[in-house]
Amino acid sequence: MIDSRTIIAPASASGRGGISVIRMSGPLSNKIAKEMCGELAEPWRFKKCNITSNNGSLIDVGMVVFFKSPYSYTGEDIVEFHCHGNPMIVNLIIESALVLGAVVAEPGEFTKKAFLNDKIDLAQAESVADLINAQSESAIIAANSSLSGNFSKQVNGILDELTEARVFVEANIDFPDEDIDRTHMENLNERLIKLLGVVSGLLTSVQDGVKLREGYSVAIVGPPNAGKSTLLNLLARERVAITSDIEGTTRDLVRVPVNLAGLIIEFIDTAGIREDPENSIEEEGISKSIEVINKSNITLVVQDSTSVKPFNVELGESIVVMNKSDLMKESQPNDKNAFYVSSVSGEGVPELLSELIKKLEVDEGGETVFLSRKRHEECLIKGRDFIDESLEGLRQDLGLELIAENLKESHNVLGEILRPMSSDDLLGEIFSEFCIGK
Amino acid sequence: MDKYEVVVIGGGHAGVEAASVASRYGAKTLLITHDKSKIGEMSCNPAIGGIGKSHLAKEVDALGGLMAKAADKSGIHYRVLNSTKGQAVRATRVQTDRDLYKLAIQELIVSTKNLTIKEGSVIDLDIDDLKIKSVKTDSGEKIFTKSVVLTTGTFLGGVMHTGLEQSPGGRIGDPSSEKLAKKLRKLNLSVGRLKTGTPPRLNKNTINWDLLSPQSGDTPTPLLSYTSNEEERPKQLDCFMTRTNKETHKIIIEHLDESPMYSGVIEGVGPRYCPSIEDKVMRFSERDSHQIFAEPEGLNSDLIYPNGISTSLPLKAQEALVRSIKGFEKAEIIRPGYAIEYDYFDPKGLKHSLETKEIEGLFFAGQINGTTGYEEAAAQGLMAGLNAALQTNNKAPLILRRDEAYTGVLIDDLVSLGTKEPYRMFTSRAEYRLILREDNADMRLTEKGKELGIVPDLLWKTYLQKKELSNNELERLKKEKIKPNSPEAEKIHLLSGETTSNNISLLEILKRPKVFHHHLPQGENILPNNVIDEIEASVKYEGYIKRQKADIEKLQRNENTPIPSSLDYSNVVGLSNEVKQKLTEARPESLARASRLPGITPAAISLLMVHIKKGRRLVG
Repeated sequence: MIDSRTIIAPASASGRGGISVIRMSGPLSNKIAKEMCGELAEPWRFKKCNITSNNGSLIDVGMVVFFKSPYSYTGEDIVEFHCHGNPMIVNLIIESALVLGAVVAEPGEFTKKAFLNDKIDLAQAESVADLINAQSESAIIAANSSLSGNFSKQVNGILDELTEARVFVEANIDFPDEDIDRTHMENLNERLIKLLGVVSGLLTSVQDGVKLREGYSVAIVGPPNAGKSTLLNLLARERVAITSDIEGTTRDLVRVPVNLAGLIIEFIDTAGIREDPENSIEEEGISKSIEVINKSNITLVVQDSTSVKPFNVELGESIVVMNKSDLMKESQPNDKNAFYVSSVSGEGVPELLSELIKKLEVDEGGETVFLSRKRHEECLIKGRDFIDESLEGLRQDLGLELIAENLKESHNVLGEILRPMSSDDLLGEIFSEFCIGK
Repeated sequence: MDKYEVVVIGGGHAGVEAASVASRYGAKTLLITHDKSKIGEMSCNPAIGGIGKSHLAKEVDALGGLMAKAADKSGIHYRVLNSTKGQAVRATRVQTDRDLYKLAIQELIVSTKNLTIKEGSVIDLDIDDLKIKSVKTDSGEKIFTKSVVLTTGTFLGGVMHTGLEQSPGGRIGDPSSEKLAKKLRKLNLSVGRLKTGTPPRLNKNTINWDLLSPQSGDTPTPLLSYTSNEEERPKQLDCFMTRTNKETHKIIIEHLDESPMYSGVIEGVGPRYCPSIEDKVMRFSERDSHQIFAEPEGLNSDLIYPNGISTSLPLKAQEALVRSIKGFEKAEIIRPGYAIEYDYFDPKGLKHSLETKEIEGLFFAGQINGTTGYEEAAAQGLMAGLNAALQTNNKAPLILRRDEAYTGVLIDDLVSLGTKEPYRMFTSRAEYRLILREDNADMRLTEKGKELGIVPDLLWKTYLQKKELSNNELERLKKEKIKPNSPEAEKIHLLSGETTSNNISLLEILKRPKVFHHHLPQGENILPNNVIDEIEASVKYEGYIKRQKADIEKLQRNENTPIPSSLDYSNVVGLSNEVKQKLTEARPESLARASRLPGITPAAISLLMVHIKKGRRLVG
C-alpha cells in the first residue's frame, strides 16, 4: 500500500519563528532520519537530538518524532523534524534529506497520499485545505466537522440506503419467479420518500456550508452621493474607499471582507445608479452594479435621508438604509421599514448589522454545518433529482428498469462526493489547492 | 494426415456454435466429440432463455448461430418473463423437447459446409514454442491444426456425487476426460474446481397432476430466433407448479450430513443463483416453501424435470423429499439427481478474443471458463470459434464491447474479473441494460456478422426487411398527428392525462407513459411484433439512452487510451505497491480495461492517465 517516493517539505509557514516543522513521508523516511539524527525514539515519541547534515556537520539541536506506518497522516512512515525557526536551518535539513534519497513534495502531496492510502476520503481531503484556509470560527468548526468524517458518514449512510433499494429493485428484475416479498415493493416508495428527505436535509446543510466557505457578499447600492462609500469605510473600520461630495466618485467596485460575529462578509461598494446616466463610463459602472446585486446574498439600498431619490432597480433580498440621519430634519417622514443610520457618527449601525446577520439566516447551533464546496452541492442536487425521478417513475408506473436506472445514477453521482468515479482531472484540481507541505 | 484451421473439442452448446461459426466463416473445421449422438445434448434442464440468458441466445442468433433456431424447432412451452416491466428486461424462456432440440442441432450442424465431425476422445495437445501444433486422440491419431477451441464442459476431471457415493464422469452415462485434464493441468494456467447439480427425474405417470396448478404458455407465443416461423414449432404443452413444504425441509435438514456439499466432500463452489434445494433450505431458513416447476422433458418422454429441487442427497433421501411434495406423493424417481464437480481455468488467463494468453491458438469456451448455462456457453463458443477462424486467416478478432452486447459483458467480466463461482448472466450485470435488448440484438450485431461473412442469407434478408419496416414506421410516426376531438384523441387523453394537438406527432405521443403503439392510429403495413417492440423501446427509452451513450463516449475515450505494453508500473508515481502488482500481472490493454480490474480505484486510474500523457509528451 506504500508509494515508493519519499517526500519532504516544511510543514510550518516560512519565515523566522520559535520553531519550524519539517515533514517527511515514505519508505525511506526512517532510514534518512536515522542517518541525520542517530537512533530514533520508539514511534510516536519525541527525542531530543543533534540534527546533522548528510556529511556529518551539525545543523541544529532539535526534536525528532517517528510515526510508524500505517498509523500516520499519510499511512506511510513519517518523520517530523522540529528545529529552530530559521529558513536557513529548514533549507539545510531538507537539502540533506534530498541527498539521502527524499524528493521535494508537490503541493498537497501529503494529503493526496493520505487519500490514496485510504486514510481519508475525498471530502475529508478537501476539508484539510478548508481548515487551513478557514477565516472565521464558524468556518473552522464546520471544516473540522467535515474532516472528522461527519459529512462523509452522512453521505455513506445515504449510499447504503441507496444500495439496499437498488439490490431490491435489481432482484425484482433478475428473479421475477422467485418469491420476493411483495410488501417490500410497496415499501420501496416509502423508503425513497424518506431518503429524499435525508438527501434534501444534507443538501441544506451543505448549501450553508458553501456559503460559509465562500463567505457572504453584501452589495451596497443606491443613488449617487447617498454616502455608500462612507458607510463602507465605517463598516471596514478604515478608509478603503475614496469619498467626496461629488456625485459619481465611486466608479469601480470596492470589495472589503469584514469578520462579523464569526462570519466572513464581503461588502461591495458600487457606483451610484441614476435614472439617466450621462456617459458611457457611468453606464458601464451601473451595469456592473446590477451584476453585483444579482450575485450577492443581500443588498443594502442606501438613500440620503435628506433627499430620497427614486431608485428603480430590481433587487433580491434587501435592506433599505437611510443614511445621513444626523443631518435629517425631524419633520421629514419616517420610513418604518428602513434603518436610519449616520455614517459619520455611527448611530444606528449596530441595529443595521444585527438585522443583516438575521437576514443572512445562518443557522447557528442548529443543524451541523459542514464546510462544503460547490462540487458537493452539485452532486447532492443531482443525486436528489435522480431519486425524485425514480419516485415519479413509481407514481407513473414506469418499468422497474427505469427506476433502477435512476437509482443507479443517483448512487454514482452521490458516490463521487467521496470517491470520484470519473478519472477526469478532478483529483489534480482538488490537490492543487494545497500549498507544499500539506 | 489431416490438417485443419480450427479443431473444436466437445459437442455441447459451446462446441457446436464454435464449429458452426468457424465453418460459416470458411475455415476448414473439425469437431471432435466422444459420441456423435450426444451432440447438442441438454444435460440439465430442458429450457433455453430466461432473464439475461435469452438476450445471449438472441445475440448468438443475430450472428447466425444455432441455439435459438433449435429452441424454436423444439419449444413446447413459451413464456415472456418480466412481461409487466419494460422491453429491456423482458426475457423469453422456452421449454424444449430434449430430443427434438438435440435433433435440431444435429440437423443444423451436419449440413454445414467446411465442417467434419469425428468421434473420439482427445488425450493430448501438442504445443511447441507456446503454439498449438496438433491434437492427439485416444485412437492414436494425430490431427494437425492452427487452432483449437476447447469446450469440454464438465468433462475435465469430472466427478459425480449422489449422496456420499462418487464416480468419475462428465454427465450421467458419459466418461470424463482424465488424460486431457492432466495435460492441461501441466500448462501454466490457473486451475480451480466448480460444482453444479441437477434434480432427480420423475416418472410422468406417477405424478398426481390434479394436485398441481397448471400454467399455460404465453399467447401470442413468441419465437426466440429472428428467422424461425410458427410452422416449425411443435405443439405447445402446459407446465405445472407445486411447492416444497415444512416436511420437505425437515427431511433435507435430517439428511444434510449425507450431502456431499455439506459434509465437505465437494470442494468446488456452486452457483449462488441456481442453488441446490439443500442450499436454499439452509440459506433461506425463514422460508418454509420454495417453488417447483414440473417441466415435461419432451412430447414423447415419460420424464418430468422438477425445476427447483436440484440435489445431491443419497437416493433414499431424494425419494423421501420428493414424496413429501404435493402431487409427488407417489412419484417414482427414474434417475436420481446428482452434483458434478469439474475443473475450470481462471478466465483471467484469457484475452478478450478467448484465446489463452499463454498458448497461441488455444481458445477456451463454456464451462471450462467458469460459466454455467447453455446460453453463456453458446455465446462464448460462437466468439471463440469465430476468433479462432479469424486468427488463422490473420484477421483481427471480433471483440464486442459492454455497450454492444451481453456477450461483450460476459466475456469482459470473465476476462477482467475472473469468477469464483459458476458465472450466470443477469441483466443487472449490464451497465447499458436499456440499450441491450431482446428486440434489437439483430440491429446491434447482424451487420457486424455480415461483414465477417458469418450471417446466413435468410437472416440477412430478414434483418433488412425489419430495418426497412422500422425506419418507415418511425418516419410515419414523426409525420402523422392525431386530429383533435377525434375518438383517438380522446383515447390518448384518457390514457396519458394529456391532450393532443395538431402540433404533436405520434412519435411524441408514444413517449408518454401508458401510451403504447397499439393505441395509436395504425399505418398501412401490418407490423410484426418484434418491429413494434423495437420502436417502442427506442422511443420510450430515448432520454435514458442518450445519457447512457454520453457515458459510453466518455468511457470510449479511456478505451481508446492504450496502455503501452512496455509500461513499467513501478515508475508510475503515487500508485501503491498492491495496485502496481495487480496491473503488472493483468497487463490491461487500455485505461478502460484497467479501470475494471478489481481493486483498481479511480484515483489509481487518474495517476495512470497522467503518467501515460506525460510519457506521450516526452516522446512527442
